[in-house]
Amino acid sequence: MIEPPVEMPIPVDWYLYLSAALFIVGVAGMLTRRNLFIMLFSLELMLNAVNINLVGFSRFHENLVGQNLVIFVMAIAAAEAAVGLAIATALYRNRKTLMVDLFDRMKG
Amino acid sequence: MTEKVLFIIFGVLAVAGGIGTITRRNVVHALLLLVFTFLNVAAIFALTQAYFLAVVQILVYAGAIMVLFFFVIMLLNLRTFREEEQTHRRQRWVALGLSVLVLAEFIVVLAGITLTSVRGGLTPEAMAEAGGGTKVFGEALFNNMLLPFEVASVVLLVAMVGAIILVKREKTAGGTTRGWDPGEQPTPEAIEEEV
Repeated sequence: MIEPPVEMPIPVDWYLYLSAALFIVGVAGMLTRRNLFIMLFSLELMLNAVNINLVGFSRFHENLVGQNLVIFVMAIAAAEAAVGLAIATALYRNRKTLMVDLFDRMKG
Repeated sequence: MTEKVLFIIFGVLAVAGGIGTITRRNVVHALLLLVFTFLNVAAIFALTQAYFLAVVQILVYAGAIMVLFFFVIMLLNLRTFREEEQTHRRQRWVALGLSVLVLAEFIVVLAGITLTSVRGGLTPEAMAEAGGGTKVFGEALFNNMLLPFEVASVVLLVAMVGAIILVKREKTAGGTTRGWDPGEQPTPEAIEEEV
């Protein structure tokens, strides 16, 4: 006898809406702010939105690939944070500011 | 029903924390609000019965990565450039409008689709029977995802070495490195010197 599939307690759409909202908050932060740190935070927000999506779909499809991918996203986020902070430190040491609009020397 | 109510509460708090993060002027306040958002996301993971990920989210994300940010903010003494904004004042409103537009597009598209699934059968109940969610998670990770896992360790190593090299203070011939004030354009001679 085949058991009827158990419904998810939370519909998968809700994860998508939440993740879209968080992602857009991240995008808005990235575009509106000019402080390098706030821009890095926005990046983390976007990565977290992706994680919510992955976990929601992992539950929806009842398989673990999505949850495994979250671990990799976290590893990449850690690497990105380390390198980004190193760049921020180097920039601050040279220019005494972190406003990205002021880093315009490459424009010539 | 309880799950739905909790999901809405945590979801709203997460988005509110996110909005707070991108509107604060003080970087430390923004970072604290970001940690708050991460904790709410961890709660949503727990509601989805991804308990291992909820713990990892708190330990690694809200713990380790955010403490790293804190260290650097404290190290740089960022209080000194509170006077952020801004050379592109108009860009801000255009960007905000575009973001809201994209969000509206997301909502319209998501409202119009129905998702179907070939269920893999790994419900939380099935995982509990197979020895617990973390065990099943680990088996899946180290069987199907072993190669990406090893590659991730190399990526982390490269990031670590790169971070060390970037932060290492370089000794110039004169002894100290020259810095520029905010907004100051370096003279051509200074650029020459640096190269």
